[in-house]
Amino acid sequence: MKRLFAILLCVALVAALFVGCAKKDDAGKTDGAKTVKVGLICIGDENDQGYTYNFIRGRDAATEALKAKGINVEWVTKYNVGEDSGCEDANIELAAAGCAVIFNNSFGFEDYMLKVAPEYPNVQFVSCTNQVSWNDDLKNTHNAFAAIYEGRYLAGVVAGMKLQQLIDEGTIKPEEAIIGYVGAFPFAEVKSGYTAYFLGARSVCPSVTMKVQFVNSWSNATEESNAASALCDAGCKLISQHADNSTPATTAQSKGAFFTSYNNDMISVAPEACLVGTRIDWSVYFTEVIEAVANGKEFPQDWCKGIADGAVVLTDLNKDIVAPGTAEKLAEVEEQIKSGKLQVFDTSTFTVKGETLTQAYALDTDGDFAPDSEEAVYDGAFHESTVQSAPYFAIDIDGIELLN
Amino acid sequence: MEHKVKTPLFHLAKRTGIAPSWAWLIRLSSILVALVIGSLAIAITGNQPIPAYRTLLEGALGNEAFRRQTVKMAVPLLGCALAIAPCFKMRFWNIGAEGQITAGALAATLMVRLFAAKLSALPLLLLMAIAAILGGGLWGLIPGFFKAKWNTNETLFTLMMNYIIIGVVAWLQAGPWEARQGRMAQFPANACLPKVLGVHCGWIIVLVLAVLIHVYMKYTKHGYEISVIGDSMRTAQYAGMNVGRIMMRTMFLSGAISGLVGFIVASGANNTLAKDIAGGVGFTSITVAWLSQLNAFAMILISLMLAILTKGASTLQTQMGVPAAISDIITGLLLFCMLGCEFFINFRIVFRGSRPEKGGKQG
Repeated sequence: MKRLFAILLCVALVAALFVGCAKKDDAGKTDGAKTVKVGLICIGDENDQGYTYNFIRGRDAATEALKAKGINVEWVTKYNVGEDSGCEDANIELAAAGCAVIFNNSFGFEDYMLKVAPEYPNVQFVSCTNQVSWNDDLKNTHNAFAAIYEGRYLAGVVAGMKLQQLIDEGTIKPEEAIIGYVGAFPFAEVKSGYTAYFLGARSVCPSVTMKVQFVNSWSNATEESNAASALCDAGCKLISQHADNSTPATTAQSKGAFFTSYNNDMISVAPEACLVGTRIDWSVYFTEVIEAVANGKEFPQDWCKGIADGAVVLTDLNKDIVAPGTAEKLAEVEEQIKSGKLQVFDTSTFTVKGETLTQAYALDTDGDFAPDSEEAVYDGAFHESTVQSAPYFAIDIDGIELLN
Repeated sequence: MEHKVKTPLFHLAKRTGIAPSWAWLIRLSSILVALVIGSLAIAITGNQPIPAYRTLLEGALGNEAFRRQTVKMAVPLLGCALAIAPCFKMRFWNIGAEGQITAGALAATLMVRLFAAKLSALPLLLLMAIAAILGGGLWGLIPGFFKAKWNTNETLFTLMMNYIIIGVVAWLQAGPWEARQGRMAQFPANACLPKVLGVHCGWIIVLVLAVLIHVYMKYTKHGYEISVIGDSMRTAQYAGMNVGRIMMRTMFLSGAISGLVGFIVASGANNTLAKDIAGGVGFTSITVAWLSQLNAFAMILISLMLAILTKGASTLQTQMGVPAAISDIITGLLLFCMLGCEFFINFRIVFRGSRPEKGGKQG
């Protein structure tokens, strides 16, 4: 019994120690400024150094931007939430905690978010990168995506200039200018991305072709690395990706290929390979939404902005290895995109089975998951992300070979 | 000359017949120890442990919405712990509950796809439950059959069976059954379990199951056979029991209950099927079963406790900014201490020079 008392005494002492250490927390006082409580539900955490990390950067930048406007944001962030009923719980919890807006960062969250939204009509629910909420019957559900295809087009320009430089220097033959692309799934979001990237590259390197390898996962470090390795072995001189990890960058470097990244600047992990990266700057959207909510205003149910509004950005150029004149060319193309002079999916720049694209639908309205309404091709271009924010360019164009 | 014997500082002695109150005191103090070590982890993140623990409790039980979520989390844990209890009692190490849940959910989903348009809620749900029971049971029976026939290693076998069925669902989910970008559609309303007191009625099913399993294990011939095999397979054989048959029967039962849990999770909680439908429940429930010493009623408490921890930890993360990993650490510490304390219940440390233990009881 004596020993038990000793144990209990120790426990009590340690506990007392912590109580003794307790001190009043005075931080977080506001001086008349507006305060908004905002929820953010993430599928991963900052350790992925990719997808969720990019959201967290957006969150922190938005907080700073809003502070300058006299709005204090009290973020409540949930990490590592699964795409199952746990997501429903997370939405309930944040709504019950008094959040005015709740951002869901993963595609698979939407179904569960929509179960909670009707119960909290005064809370705004946002499903990023998704496409159902904005045209359902609920006023408090929203979707948002950025025109990332613009950023990919620009990254493609950087890649194409590098390949053209290699051709001009005689390092590779024109027909050896092959880009390898590690894709997540054969969905519109990915297809739209690599097609834009390819068109950007071909605009400055006419002989370029592309091979795409899908890994059928948004995040699988090993598979992504394997795919990059296989693409290099298949003769690809430059690798890009649409998946969450940085392993394709390191693989490309070890295989002597160049690389451009997504979500994050990967120059630090592959300094000899990584030319540039592109990412969505979510702070633009977060700032806009939270400011609207703080002022009691409505914000769009479907939101898509691009390079012109800073919602899509290029990371810093790796000046040591990019082709000469890249920065100047980029500035020129960026200006053309911003002014609308250049359409990324200009139908005169690509063919489908040898024919020019004249017709393609954007939206699925009958629920069979195949687009059936809203013509996207007009004025000589396929207009991406204008009918809805989520990408819908899902066409296989000539010059791009799908390996699986 | 005196003979000198080298005695170690302490040695371990097996305890015989420890008093239940003493055993429970040890268990209770193990929780305290875990909480104290956990508070160190919280303190490192710059938060105060006591308010943090209060937040944890409030986050799990503080209001009705939280209580509902906690119960929802406890349901599959309890159901699955009940499922594996008979196997563990038999010393048959079924760690395939994860796959058996998935198989059950898959079978139930198949029924939804085939009959949702033709049947109303009650017959459809019954059909789903029966299919899940058969699906999970079959998935459990396979390793049971191989064990009975060829004495294969059931631990590895059941573990590998998990990967197979999860792979099948992954393929269906992104292939033939895909609705939109790698995910399956949500079930129609008639395929979703109705709610009772705000939580899907799976909680009633598992509570009834707890009673049934208790009776089955304690008062039936089957239960007796299981415990005899667990104590000594040779005794069972000598007594004329058909050990192989009993093994297969028990594995079918275990898989069937897991399958039913799969149905409850798919129909009640997630309203759809996904490859991670089991979500680790099949493994966590092993802890529940073990901590409860395979006692069906203790499982209710333990599964609730784990659910409170998980739910509370998630609130802790949101409200105090404690990193999510810290809550995992606390949960891990609790499990470690609670399982570890069983050692002190079964053994005692005898220090050099202390009197040898006379009777079974001390205090």
